[in-house]
Amino acid sequence: MSAALTSEVTADLQAIVGEQWVITDPVRLLAYESDGLTAYRRPPGAVVLPADTDDVSQVMACLAHAEVPVVPRGAGTGLSGGALAGPDAVIVATPRMNRIVHVDPENRLALLQPGVINADLTVAARPHGLYYAPDPSSQSACTIGGNVAENAGGPHCLKYGVTSRYVTGLTVVLYDGEVLRLGGLGRDSAGYDLTGVFIGSEGCFGIATEIEVRLLPIPQATRTLLAMFDQLEDAGEAVSAIVARGLLPAALEIIDRETIQAVEASIFAAGYPVDVEAALVIEFDGIEAGLDFEAEEAERCCWEKGAREVRRARSEEERLALWQGRKKAFGAFGRVAPDLLVQDATVPRTRLPEVLRAITEIGHRYGLRLANVFHAGDGNLHPNILFDRSDADELARVEQASREIMAVCVEAGGTITGEHGVGLDKRGYMRMVHSRDVLEVMRATKKAFDPWGGMNPGKVLP
Amino acid sequence: MNSPGVALADALSGKRDLLLPCVHCGLCLPACPTYVRMHDENDSPRGRLYLMRAVVEGRIDPAADAFQTHIDRCLGCRACEPVCPAGVEYGTLLEYARAVAVAARPQPWFIRTLLGVFQRPGRMRTVMRLSRWLRASGLAGLGAWIIPRRWHTLRMGLAMLSASGGGKLRRLGRRRRAAPTEASVGPPDAYSALPDTDDKDEVRPARVGLLSGCVQAGLFERVNDATGRVLKANGFAAVTPSTQACCGALHSHSGDLEGARALARVNIAAFEGADVETVVVNAAGCGAAMKGYAQLLADDAEYATRAAAITEKIVDLSEILVRYGMRKGAPIWARVTYDAPCHLLHAQGVAEAPLEMLRSIPQLELVELKGSAECCGGAGLYGITHGELAQSIGSDKVDAILETKAEAVVTGNPGCMMHIGAGLLFRGAGIEAIHPVELVDESYRRGGLY
Ligand SMILES: Cc1cc2nc3c(=O)[nH]c(=O)nc-3n(C[C@H](O)[C@H](O)[C@H](O)COP(=O)(O)OP(=O)(O)OC[C@H]3O[C@@H](n4cnc5c(N)ncnc54)[C@H](O)[C@@H]3O)c2cc1C
Ligand code: SF4
Ligand code: SF4
Repeated sequence: MSAALTSEVTADLQAIVGEQWVITDPVRLLAYESDGLTAYRRPPGAVVLPADTDDVSQVMACLAHAEVPVVPRGAGTGLSGGALAGPDAVIVATPRMNRIVHVDPENRLALLQPGVINADLTVAARPHGLYYAPDPSSQSACTIGGNVAENAGGPHCLKYGVTSRYVTGLTVVLYDGEVLRLGGLGRDSAGYDLTGVFIGSEGCFGIATEIEVRLLPIPQATRTLLAMFDQLEDAGEAVSAIVARGLLPAALEIIDRETIQAVEASIFAAGYPVDVEAALVIEFDGIEAGLDFEAEEAERCCWEKGAREVRRARSEEERLALWQGRKKAFGAFGRVAPDLLVQDATVPRTRLPEVLRAITEIGHRYGLRLANVFHAGDGNLHPNILFDRSDADELARVEQASREIMAVCVEAGGTITGEHGVGLDKRGYMRMVHSRDVLEVMRATKKAFDPWGGMNPGKVLP
Repeated sequence: MNSPGVALADALSGKRDLLLPCVHCGLCLPACPTYVRMHDENDSPRGRLYLMRAVVEGRIDPAADAFQTHIDRCLGCRACEPVCPAGVEYGTLLEYARAVAVAARPQPWFIRTLLGVFQRPGRMRTVMRLSRWLRASGLAGLGAWIIPRRWHTLRMGLAMLSASGGGKLRRLGRRRRAAPTEASVGPPDAYSALPDTDDKDEVRPARVGLLSGCVQAGLFERVNDATGRVLKANGFAAVTPSTQACCGALHSHSGDLEGARALARVNIAAFEGADVETVVVNAAGCGAAMKGYAQLLADDAEYATRAAAITEKIVDLSEILVRYGMRKGAPIWARVTYDAPCHLLHAQGVAEAPLEMLRSIPQLELVELKGSAECCGGAGLYGITHGELAQSIGSDKVDAILETKAEAVVTGNPGCMMHIGAGLLFRGAGIEAIHPVELVDESYRRGGLY
């Protein structure tokens, strides 16, 4: 595309949304040069902050007319560089579109603008005894629009499933400004499931401007356990044993020694022993009857696999304390090293122990500090590499090691992302996991929504 | 970038280790009152830290409009600190960033003049006398009503002044319900005696130092008096060294770090001379500033250790009262709500003590205030310097307060009392912002404890 973000175009944008909602000052654009992944820095040509579907449609039509590419942005917590635009492109950000249009308790549905923060939805639904199940660890800040675009998951998605299971309808604006209504309550759902196709499209198909989601009744009770292991692999085996016994925990999360040490050295110290190799957080929820049995069975699995200690939360405070080490891990790494690369890959759960062993070996070989935090129940790994960007040699080793870690996961029958998306960061790995034919179908799908190629160019597809 | 910019950035560069822990995760965005209203990431904590980092990296000049505007527009409420998983010390960084910003581009004359006044006790006294006269004569209140909106600074200033007057406390809870008879509450001596400290290791300090504060002393003498009485009733003798000065909070928040350091040194010497183990502060902003003396003077060869020692001794009034247990006074049959001052909740991490203080008052009905943890928009001089935004924030606060149907809103910081008070005044709400110790004092007075 021949991009032309001229001053006439910005003036047109200002006329649509109002002058104060268009950012063009180069210094002010710096804040938008990264998302949650700071490895990439690309300031956009401008940032536009529309208020509603109509604004978005006009803004897009204007930009499409000038042939300027568009990149959607929610809260910028993404970890794959998905929300970055180059100087030739414009970011259309959703923070002003943060209204919960309604919560419909009878049908257990909510209609939202895309800039609504994930956790705010649960707060609004709680008085009706309902909540929104997908709970990415960034839920206090990330937007539902970003969740839809990334098909976000979270610790409790083991039992409840990821975003795609909860989105029932979408209003989508295409690059040329056309407004599509997909799915939704009472509407005809005959034909192809376009709502499903749009979810996980990482801003490459269009901008979601209204989202209808399903809410669930708040579980009656929970049981939370924390098991400590002297071997990381034992923790992995305990996970397999729990699943093999037919139990269905809401969450199964592993934190390794490096992570525990980082958390314990931070202001968020959670009281985990620092000399264990792994800690496993297990949570069950649902109706009260039967929970104790499940918790006891899971505890037995841990002992059988060589757990050193198993703690059980007796109160909500204790429950939060057990979760602390998992929840605060990401931030605690900030205290250990100036830069952090959060990897994201998925492997079949049964291959976890050997993949973990291989990843540890790669870390050693490249002399890097590696910390593992992961949604073990569904085999979603987050190896975190701690480093210092100003050390060029180390940066090169980080890139090399990342690539090898991906290769190991793919070889084990896994894939290159569990929930953070492909974005800019993983584009180069797409050929590792998809055949040429699959990539062709993806390209054709993208063309069906965006024949102009103006939406979030240079992302996802290699 | 030009060279003065580089020189200025040096100050901030020294704080690189405080900036680095920011992992750019964005979890702080929704906690920030300016981001939630302006929707521009430059008005978020992450965006502001990024601007600071850009100065440190020499990518932008601190005189740049964007740096000036967005650093200036920060409330300094520090709501971004408790939610940050990396523990970024935002408040400290902001002070350095302000210093860098101000050095690159001087502040408006009235701010400079105001800061100058706070540094000179003589002028301070004169200004306060004049202010009290404006308040007592009713001119402040009148001015707030008749001055047109576009003269925002003056209008707001007068409204805040007028709101600082108080005066409704004596009647609180008397009108709604008939005053209880002696028989229904028992004679005054039924009210509790000094509680024993159960913890044997904790010896109740007999003498404590007390910061008078400048606004507190000038406009809220009644709060200081109440503080003295309540401390005494609970067994503490309060000494107020006459050589003490303004705490320096306004100076460090406005980027005048040298001014703040000079004042800190004066106060350190004053309280060392008073020979006390505890220094009690009844204004959240001042308490936070004094708890920050160690950080402020960390590079001062002569004062670093002395500052660290004083920092250890600073407590908020609510902390000391609650720690050793409080006497009970007479019931107050009133419904009140509590707004947490940012510099108590976020900067000092004191959440429960003021609430416990209020719960110690028999029959007082304490209703929860929605958004109590969010800044009221007062933020030192912010209410005056950033009229429109401060009013938008303030008016959300007033809405929430009115929704509770409380007969008074309680908050332990003079700036918040005045800003919220002014907001209530503009609405003609007829209720006041009062300090928690005023309520305790009133309960003691009604109970005949003095
Ligand atoms: C500490 C931390 C923990 C995290 N934990 C998890 C986790 O547990 N699970 C998980 O899945 N992710 C996690 N993430 C990643 C991230 O939070 C999610 O990907 C989230 O869904 C991104 O939402 P956002 O609003 O920040 O979107 P952004 O980062 O702003 O954007 C992400 C992508 O979505 C597109 N987009 C945004 N809004 C729209 C819209 N309205 N229409 C179309 N496209 C849009 C953008 O173009 C971009 O490609 C975590 C991130 C952090 C920093
Ligand atoms: S929450 Fe902390 S680490 Fe995350 S962006 Fe904000 S300041 Fe940085
Ligand atoms: S101090 Fe308050 S206004 Fe300033 S960045 Fe932090 S949360 Fe926002």
